[in-house]
Amino acid sequence: MIFDWSVVWQHRDALVAGTATTILLTVATMAIAVPCGIAVAILRMYGVAPVRAAATAYVELFRNLPLILVVFWAFYVLPILTGLGLSPLATGLAALVLNVTAYNAETFRAGINSIRRGQVEAAMALGMSRAQALRRVVVPQAVRRILPVLASTWVSLFKDTSLVSVIAVSELSYAAMQVRAQTFRVLEMLTAMAAIYWLLGYPQAKLTDWIQRRYAVSE
Amino acid sequence: MDLDFSVITDHARFLASGVGVTLLLAAVSGVTSLAAGLVVALLRLYGPPWLRPIIVLYIDSMRAIPVLVVLIWTFFALPILTGLTMPPFFAALIGLTVHLAAYAAEIVRAGIESIRPGQTRAAAALGMSRAQAVRRIILPQAIVRTLPAFGSLLSVTIKDTAIASVIAVPELMRQSETIAGQSFQPIEVYTFAMLLYFLMLFPVTRGVDRFYRRVAHLGRS
Repeated sequence: MIFDWSVVWQHRDALVAGTATTILLTVATMAIAVPCGIAVAILRMYGVAPVRAAATAYVELFRNLPLILVVFWAFYVLPILTGLGLSPLATGLAALVLNVTAYNAETFRAGINSIRRGQVEAAMALGMSRAQALRRVVVPQAVRRILPVLASTWVSLFKDTSLVSVIAVSELSYAAMQVRAQTFRVLEMLTAMAAIYWLLGYPQAKLTDWIQRRYAVSE
Repeated sequence: MDLDFSVITDHARFLASGVGVTLLLAAVSGVTSLAAGLVVALLRLYGPPWLRPIIVLYIDSMRAIPVLVVLIWTFFALPILTGLTMPPFFAALIGLTVHLAAYAAEIVRAGIESIRPGQTRAAAALGMSRAQAVRRIILPQAIVRTLPAFGSLLSVTIKDTAIASVIAVPELMRQSETIAGQSFQPIEVYTFAMLLYFLMLFPVTRGVDRFYRRVAHLGRS
């Protein structure tokens, strides 16, 4: 068995471009899914009954579906629903946003609910308005509970971007598998792909641990 | 948009076989990753010190690499290295177990570490060996406390079996792709697949939560 690792270096351009797309997808998805998650959480907590039900149904549905199926579904259904010819990248981004928004909405809801009601009442007894109590008492505490969860959602999202390869978005795993198909250097390319994910993902996992220790809440 | 769901009834048995493989793969890899995770966690906490950095490296690596990559590597690259070819189901089982055992190990460790050390000392004072204390005092409480986490891991397991479709395991996702390709009705097929997955996953999370509420008192101390 002879391995030829030079194939990895020869195709470094494809791998670098794929890595850039992976990072872009992660950042863009989170940038959209955080405000959307806050909006869905607010609708779910303070909306009128039908809106609340719709928000709850959305969150429960997408938390209980495999992402790879959502990606395929978005690929075929979104063009028909929206009437737009979306690129694979835009479709992949939409599927990831749909998925992560549902998780984020649940994170924000749990974070806000974790602050006992008595604290708002105490703040109001001290003369704060409801908005002031939310801004000065609830949100600063909720953030400490939300940040660690967002960090682990981030790491999951980074890994989940690999699933949009099934609709030919040329992120890292798709790029590596393309080179594999062209060169037949299966073991070398797949190992290189795993190594790049590891190099990028390992520090993120460690950073998540640090954030979780740093913001650990003890009651 | 005209939807024609007769494609579902025409291929009902084909889809049902996919559901069967999904549930089988989820059940078997759930059991194997739980067992492997328990061993890994016990080795990390009570094993020889030189083993600890290796286990930590393994766990953190699995948290860093996508499960898709683990499955593809196991199916395509591992046979080149070992010279043994594996059927897709077996490769998926190995890949999922290697990946999920790391998460299971972290859950078990968190459960064990949540039991106050005073209990181990009390058990030792009563004449128990360390192994006895772990088996009879710590693990029974830790397992109850970790039930909600294992519930979400089980739902992650079912979701991750869908990724095994990329290595041609004939589970629900793969069968849906096949039918969608043959019938040119991807919208009906994938929407129905969504319904099936939701029906499999939603009761798992809810069921584990309800079960936990009934047994939670057993984990308190």
